[in-house]
Amino acid sequence: MKNLRWIIGLLAVLALVAAACGGNDDDDSGAGDPAAAPTEAPDDMDDEMDESMDDDMDDEMDESMDDDMDDEMDESMDDDMDDEMDESMDDDMDDSDAEPVATEEPEVDPCEAVDLEATDIGITEDTITVLVMADVGSPLAPGLFQGSIDGVKAWANHVNAEGGLACRQVEVIEHDSAINPTETTNGFLVACEEAFALVGTTALFALDTTDLQTCSDAHGNDIGVPDFAYITTEPPHQCSVVTFASSRPNSECPYAGTGDRAVQSQVGHVQYLLENVSSELNGVYLVPSDLPSTIASTMPQLRSFQEIGVVVDGEPGVSGFTTQSEYGAYIQVMRDANSNFAYTGSDDQSMIKWRSEAEAQGMDVDSIIWMCQLACYTPSFLEAGDVVENTYIWIWFLPFDETDTNQELADFMEAIDDPFPPAWAAGSWADGVLFEQVVNGIVAEGGPNAVTRQAVLDGARNVTSFDVNGWWSPADYSTTENIMPCFMLMQVQNNEFVRVHPAERGELDCNPDNVVGLTSDWGAEFGG
Amino acid sequence: MIFGVRHSVAVATALGTLGAVIIAVLTWKGAQVTSETFLVTTYIGLFLGALWAMYATGLVVVYTTTGVFNFAQGAIGVFAAFFYWELHVNRGWHSILALFVVVGLFAPALGVVLDIVIMRRLRTASLVVQLMVTVAIMVLLLSVVGDIWEADTARRVPYLFGINNGIDLGPSQLPWHRLIVFVVAIAIAVAMRYLLRRTRIGTAMRAVVDNRELAALNGARPNVVSSTSWALGSMLGALGGILIAPELGLDPATLNNVVIIAFAAAAFGALKNLPMAVIGAMLIGLLRAHTVAWLDFGSDFRFAHLSIAPLLLLFVVIALPQARLEVGRLVHHLRRHERFTKWWEGLIGCGVIILLAVAFSGGWLNFLIWDPGAWGSRELNSANEAMALALIGLSLVPLIGWAGQINFAPLAFAGFGAFVYLKVIGAGWVTFLGLDRLGLDPQDIRDIDNGYWILLVGLLCAPLGALVALPAARLRGLYLALMTMAFAQAMSLIFFPNPWVMPIIGTGRQFPHIELFGVTFDDRRGFFLLLMCVFAVVVYALVLLRRSRYGRRWMAINDSQAAAATLGVPVVWTKVVVYALSAVIAGIAGVFWATVSGNVDSVQGFDLLIGFNIVLLVAAAGVSIPVAGIFLIFIPLFTGLGHRLEDSGNVDFLVTLLDIMTTYGPGMLVLGMVFNPRGAIFEMGRGFSPILPWRSDARAEIAAENAQKREPEIGELGIERPFTPEEVIAIDRRLGILDEVVPKEGYGAARS
Repeated sequence: MKNLRWIIGLLAVLALVAAACGGNDDDDSGAGDPAAAPTEAPDDMDDEMDESMDDDMDDEMDESMDDDMDDEMDESMDDDMDDEMDESMDDDMDDSDAEPVATEEPEVDPCEAVDLEATDIGITEDTITVLVMADVGSPLAPGLFQGSIDGVKAWANHVNAEGGLACRQVEVIEHDSAINPTETTNGFLVACEEAFALVGTTALFALDTTDLQTCSDAHGNDIGVPDFAYITTEPPHQCSVVTFASSRPNSECPYAGTGDRAVQSQVGHVQYLLENVSSELNGVYLVPSDLPSTIASTMPQLRSFQEIGVVVDGEPGVSGFTTQSEYGAYIQVMRDANSNFAYTGSDDQSMIKWRSEAEAQGMDVDSIIWMCQLACYTPSFLEAGDVVENTYIWIWFLPFDETDTNQELADFMEAIDDPFPPAWAAGSWADGVLFEQVVNGIVAEGGPNAVTRQAVLDGARNVTSFDVNGWWSPADYSTTENIMPCFMLMQVQNNEFVRVHPAERGELDCNPDNVVGLTSDWGAEFGG
Repeated sequence: MIFGVRHSVAVATALGTLGAVIIAVLTWKGAQVTSETFLVTTYIGLFLGALWAMYATGLVVVYTTTGVFNFAQGAIGVFAAFFYWELHVNRGWHSILALFVVVGLFAPALGVVLDIVIMRRLRTASLVVQLMVTVAIMVLLLSVVGDIWEADTARRVPYLFGINNGIDLGPSQLPWHRLIVFVVAIAIAVAMRYLLRRTRIGTAMRAVVDNRELAALNGARPNVVSSTSWALGSMLGALGGILIAPELGLDPATLNNVVIIAFAAAAFGALKNLPMAVIGAMLIGLLRAHTVAWLDFGSDFRFAHLSIAPLLLLFVVIALPQARLEVGRLVHHLRRHERFTKWWEGLIGCGVIILLAVAFSGGWLNFLIWDPGAWGSRELNSANEAMALALIGLSLVPLIGWAGQINFAPLAFAGFGAFVYLKVIGAGWVTFLGLDRLGLDPQDIRDIDNGYWILLVGLLCAPLGALVALPAARLRGLYLALMTMAFAQAMSLIFFPNPWVMPIIGTGRQFPHIELFGVTFDDRRGFFLLLMCVFAVVVYALVLLRRSRYGRRWMAINDSQAAAATLGVPVVWTKVVVYALSAVIAGIAGVFWATVSGNVDSVQGFDLLIGFNIVLLVAAAGVSIPVAGIFLIFIPLFTGLGHRLEDSGNVDFLVTLLDIMTTYGPGMLVLGMVFNPRGAIFEMGRGFSPILPWRSDARAEIAAENAQKREPEIGELGIERPFTPEEVIAIDRRLGILDEVVPKEGYGAARS
């Protein structure tokens, strides 16, 4: 009798299960082949666009985005475009009364000539909605990348104050990815449904970009959402064909996630040291080893240093859990090898711990050349005081105190209202400028109603040299392998960041010889 | 003589092992060792050990004097370190003044408040509730720290005694700060031991934890004593936090994780022996320092040096003799009877769950909940993750809820299930085993319906559960909790970050969409329904299982292992089975969990705190009730509601309220266990059941409880006169004697 109950019960449940599970007729468009969509998109674009454009737009848009579109876009947004855009953008920035959109005939206001339309998801007659996603609300690290959100908001306010974008006001919605893969995916989904594009993305765990790359536009085409990101740490995000990062990953795409990968690295700063400070450098390189992605991004740089003659005495991994006293082990390695060079690929706190421990161990810290990268360009690094004196720091954009040399930088510093903003605020602002530049290009070509996700994707893919109007090292978005070739070197002197190279304010060193390209399985390169 | 012979032998063994390990390591790596390098590495290890010893001392003091193992010890240190930074660095107070305010005033006040508000109420609570509440305090304290001191600013706490001067050791030097910290840590341990062993208050402390009432009769003041204990423990935690913060930086997660090292050290001293706890801390410090200095683990095992403490904890807990492990006090009272859900009740309930899910995801219940029909992909994605976590939570029901076997490693089991699934569907094993040479095509394997593989995953996870059960069979209570915690931590540091376990992929999904019976669940709504269906099936299976012989056995060993064994229940085998069952459920749930997002964050995805949160929420809901797991769905519900409110605008206060609920809600819910130890769902069910026509038993129980409330306290009875028959009934009820024994009309009436 008891068994009969079991059987009846199970059958009933299975019947309910079958009834409940059988009819999944609703589709939230989350499915699709992420790999196929992006590669097919450009090839199929012409047909798709023809189908997708509204009747009113067909005539106008067919001219600009039909079979000839690629050529026209290439012409308008190739190398020549950069100069033109730079000029026009600079003019715009300099003249507060100037038109917000640069055209060859500036006296014509494109906004007055057309009835603005809701051309795609996230665009209305009055507004363009962008979504900024950043890791902010993790319970254990709240506010982590709040700077990104602040940067995008500052950019939007600035653009709106200048008259808007594509004759519309920019609206910003925020999404907190919370250092969580699911919340990051949720951000892509929200962007897909509610925003025109993502701007200033600063999410560390974008492990699956399927929803980003297969999102449907207003016409039902699975073309993806344009994603103007600052940080792309994971290979799926780095290789997403709808993602355009202001901080270029400089790595080969597509990439399977494991195995060999071609990567380009900036070595100009170390070359400068070899030529001007010490002709022989041997030392310890700290590898941030918490994440496979950080290992994969820092090992190429270390090997590049070796390519130009630096001798590596040790390459230990450091974690956020490494105590200061545990840095003593690396100090001992340096002592044993008589090192004169110390470089950390980790953050400012890592360098502070390292240098503090060196002093605690009674090491002659002045005999060492200490070097760090952008992560040390923070106020808290200076707050460490004398312990970080003489540390070299290299970055790939003009420092925040050189507002007199670059209008874009000046606008950023004015808008962000922070004497020393976090770097990700600057990166997210740069994303905004790239987005702005692409949209302006589209408007210049086809008018404010030509702005669609597809047009933005095409426009961004054709940007071969974007330098945030002279503020940043130029980046080529037509390939993922092309590194940002410029750098500038600073040194902490008397508790300030002091420019060292190039000596001239407002300049970056853009010697193409500063770039070294190597191919390896970078995860396997790390010895630990 | 501080140590007995046995301890001396243990210390000698430990140090000998350490030396052997170091020699082996040096041989292995072939590193050039100088006496100077060895000396420096050793003093660094001793210094780290001293820091951890301070935490461990606090743990031991609180445990010895209150019987409560304080999982929040690390969080108290985190809060104190941030508070110290606020006063000293941010507001410019002198370091000594700031130290005095934080350690001398704030920390003891916090300890006393915790004791008065929460801990005293836990005196008679079960060990599960005690542990859960301290974990909840930890989560709440960390949330408060995160809210007050946001992580967008890097903060550093300066060394208390300076770091740049010290004793000259040749080319190197030993900074005064480290020397002082080392001496202070030893001095504190000695002082605490003296306090507990040689002073009146210390004797009273230990007496109170042994027998509160008896101690009171002998003149001790239990409340004052327990408050003093908590104040002391809190002070030690605060001091440890302030001293270790300069070493690690002010990061809540990093600082809090230190407490696991302190757990290992405290376990080394069997949680009660201060000198051994200090030695344990030193041992861990030495092992870690020398490991960092001499060992290369490569990227595959890059967190190996961090896993020394959990591995040592695992080893110590398993190795210590059982007699020393008998901890905690289960309140044994006879329940009238444990009512089992009838099979048809379970069936109806599960049917309702499925129908609600269908209606809910279809958008047909708009009038009930805030616009659920408008749930977009975002909300469904979050709901799917929550449902997958709820499935993982279900694995705790038979284990913790019925068998009383505490388990902080549900995520480890789930992750293992995901790993097994990834390997079996990948069909790499076909080639590995050479089966392709026998004509087996890997592609044929990949084409097999996922349902079979998921069942296979369940079967393959069972041995892991059984493996964990073997040491668990001889452990109970707190040590079981520590063992599972160490297991979870070790898995998250060594196993899951290994790229072979969770390969990194370049694009797309690591875990493909599940295909069952020819249907591919590649849209979120369908997957939500699938999850709800699986959830309902598992719940129903558990309902039936609870009624079975095994279900009764599990509850029997929970009530009393000795009694169960006397009655012929094979205790060890019963434990093995329940662990295996739990691993099966968690493993299968892990497949769904990994499939929700398609990719697993192998570094942070298995963080111990996430596992804690699952256990916390299930416990708060009522871990003995299968359907309690669904409680986790409230997280995305609140979050989704917040998003909707935010989108609608002009309801900032509601958004803030929901934010607060999402952040602090789980912790607050668990604190609610102080008053409702069986959980919220249980209480809701108890309130709801009397209105069901066939639940006359529930109505009678409520009536009996109400009658009991009207009766005077036992302490008021029989003092100045003999007991009346009604009072005898009242006493019987208070003592939980079966109603059947007591005549409903009372003894007096029965006699007449």
